[in-house]
Amino acid sequence: MNLLKVSSSPHIRQRDTTRSIMTDVVIALCPALFWSIYVFGWRSLTLTILAVGSAVGFEYLFQYITKRTITAGDMSAVVTGMLIAFNMPVTAPLWLPVIGSAFAIIIVKQLFGGIGKNIVNPALAARVFLLSWSNIMMAFVQPMTSISPISVTVSSETIDVISTATPLATLKTGMLDQSLLLEKFYGFIPGCIGEISVLMLLLGFIYLLIRKVITPHITMSFILTLAGFTFLYGYLTGNASPFEYMLHHLLSGGLFLGAIFMATDYTTSPFSPSGKIIFGIGCGLLTALIRIFGGYPEGVSFAILIMNSFIWYLDKWTRPRVFGGNPEKAEKKG
Amino acid sequence: MRRTFLGGVHMNEHKNTAKSPIETITPPEYVAIPMQQHIGAPCKPLVNIGDTVLIGQKIGDNPTALSCPIHSSISGTVERMEKRLTTNGSFVEYIVIKNDYKGAVSSELAPHTILLGDTSSEKIIQKVREAGVVGMGGASFPTYAKIQSAIGKASVIIINCAECEPYLTINHRLMLEHPEEIINGTKILMRAAKIKKAIIAIEDNKLDAAEKIADNITDHSLIDVEVFKTKYPQGDERQLIYALSGIELKQGQLPADVGFVIFNAESCAVIYNAFTTGMPLVSKLITVDGECMKSPKNLSVPIGISFKDIIDFCGGLTHNCDRIITGGPMMGVAQWDLNSVAIKATGAILALPALTETEPHCIRCGRCVRACQMHLLPALLAQYASINDFDMCKELNIMSCVECGCCTYICPGKVPIVQHIRNAKQELRARQALKK
Repeated sequence: MNLLKVSSSPHIRQRDTTRSIMTDVVIALCPALFWSIYVFGWRSLTLTILAVGSAVGFEYLFQYITKRTITAGDMSAVVTGMLIAFNMPVTAPLWLPVIGSAFAIIIVKQLFGGIGKNIVNPALAARVFLLSWSNIMMAFVQPMTSISPISVTVSSETIDVISTATPLATLKTGMLDQSLLLEKFYGFIPGCIGEISVLMLLLGFIYLLIRKVITPHITMSFILTLAGFTFLYGYLTGNASPFEYMLHHLLSGGLFLGAIFMATDYTTSPFSPSGKIIFGIGCGLLTALIRIFGGYPEGVSFAILIMNSFIWYLDKWTRPRVFGGNPEKAEKKG
Repeated sequence: MRRTFLGGVHMNEHKNTAKSPIETITPPEYVAIPMQQHIGAPCKPLVNIGDTVLIGQKIGDNPTALSCPIHSSISGTVERMEKRLTTNGSFVEYIVIKNDYKGAVSSELAPHTILLGDTSSEKIIQKVREAGVVGMGGASFPTYAKIQSAIGKASVIIINCAECEPYLTINHRLMLEHPEEIINGTKILMRAAKIKKAIIAIEDNKLDAAEKIADNITDHSLIDVEVFKTKYPQGDERQLIYALSGIELKQGQLPADVGFVIFNAESCAVIYNAFTTGMPLVSKLITVDGECMKSPKNLSVPIGISFKDIIDFCGGLTHNCDRIITGGPMMGVAQWDLNSVAIKATGAILALPALTETEPHCIRCGRCVRACQMHLLPALLAQYASINDFDMCKELNIMSCVECGCCTYICPGKVPIVQHIRNAKQELRARQALKK
């Protein structure tokens, strides 16, 4: 008898893998990376490489030491690493991305069971963790400032001299600089490495949509909610131009980076389209509340992290209606 | 916009044999015909060891219960009868016949000479039963019983030519080569079920066939062609009805409950041939394909022929062949043995290479949720099933899963979702049985 292998159907699989999806995300992040190299110089690449390298390295080490299957090559750690670097200013010392990656990969991701099991977005959690070095994380410089790409730290003297407030911090004081709007859109402003250029981030967004890596639900509801809320707030508080006030809020800070790349993280967002929309609205509202009424100029990270913790409920509340109707309910009625 | 449904997946169709005409295989030395090829009671053998049998001769039947007669597919002598283990885990009696290569046809077979308009519904149903016709989409429900259950309830017949599974092209070829058999078979079914309207459902990747069928229909107010968007699993009866009418079948409901009855294209052709020549269902149309099949073909094979004979006729297997599947790659069954035989439900034989092995992991991407035609949460079902939380599975409506395989096909983390779901469903069914 010629014995053959048996397996459960279906017997074919489509080609996409976790690795190919994560590679798409990396590709989508590249325009923003190139832009930051142009605006802030090669130090942004150095920081990104360090973050990515250590993220992959820590994942490999953790899995090796705990004798798990090594999945460090699945590109997910590369995405995490890139996002960690994107969330720090170019003046950050070179050890900062390594610490960020260690926290994100070991504590937030692997200790919760690895890919798909973490309860909050690792890169965001790392960003908030790194905010404890607030003077480092807030040391923004003007575009085209020359900074050494390889020196371990940027001397505090230099930073003090060139340190500048981000547009968002200016916004909090209520002042608007009209000439800045366009510069904000294509990204010629002080800020974190990856967040400054809305244009470059949108290119990545379009790529992700075309490749069907993400759906637009979360990103759109997030941005539209923030837009609606800030417009209304500007209008009600008698701002001379509520529309412009709204645009400044949309184009400032990490909104687009957060709404496109962080809030849409598979593991920490709901399954169903309606769940995704509620999730996005929640992110938008919390961002607006933190930015306007909170003690800190930026609210995107906190908003997403808070909404991350609601996923289990969002999934439960927005369970899709079963084809043909819920059989349990039908039984009870009958 | 073409008719379609929500969910499902667009897949690489692999319709490699769409241009291969149906060939008739060289008759094998032996056939082994199982006494159960349908849903219902198994047949009792009507012949003894040593008997001479002819093509089309009835060799098994069970008139008392829901069953369907079985006929010899070759002429020769009954060499032995034996019980064999089938892929669903049960033992079934097989009649092994040695071919005498005379090709003698049973003298009892005669064409139906009375005009269709003068033949009563009961007479047609009797004839369909005697021809041994069963549904050939995989479930193998006896066709005569389906007609009986539809009378007075259904008002529209759907002829399912969607052929949504990858690789399969045999219905496509049948439509191109014998459109009149399908259309005339449909007319017989309409007369039998007392139904005035029939729809031939075809996916838009077979527009040539749709055109061919439409050209052969004389009265479009009675029989019409409907073209559907190509998407798996359009051929699922729930999704056919939904795409046509917007009606969703509830769990446990049959198509007849909402006014439809669905037949397979090949069943129509077999019924037509049974009326014109008297020949019952003794040969089966199949697609033989897959990356590891040396020369893929569309074939007409005698029922009971072994997979080995079919594969040899198709040039054999390449050395990297990993699995042999009977049926489509999405819902077909992997065989452990090339002594398996083609039966009435066999629609394809596929030789497939190994899948790349990876550590399964869910990244919660939600693709399975979007692909689920029943609108379930496959990722969660698989998770709860894998930790034996069957109550939670039930709460998430696991019993509504039809195991179409979309979730598992689409999963980038390569989680065997359907396998987990099957285990849980089996456990829940066992619990249900214990309660009773």
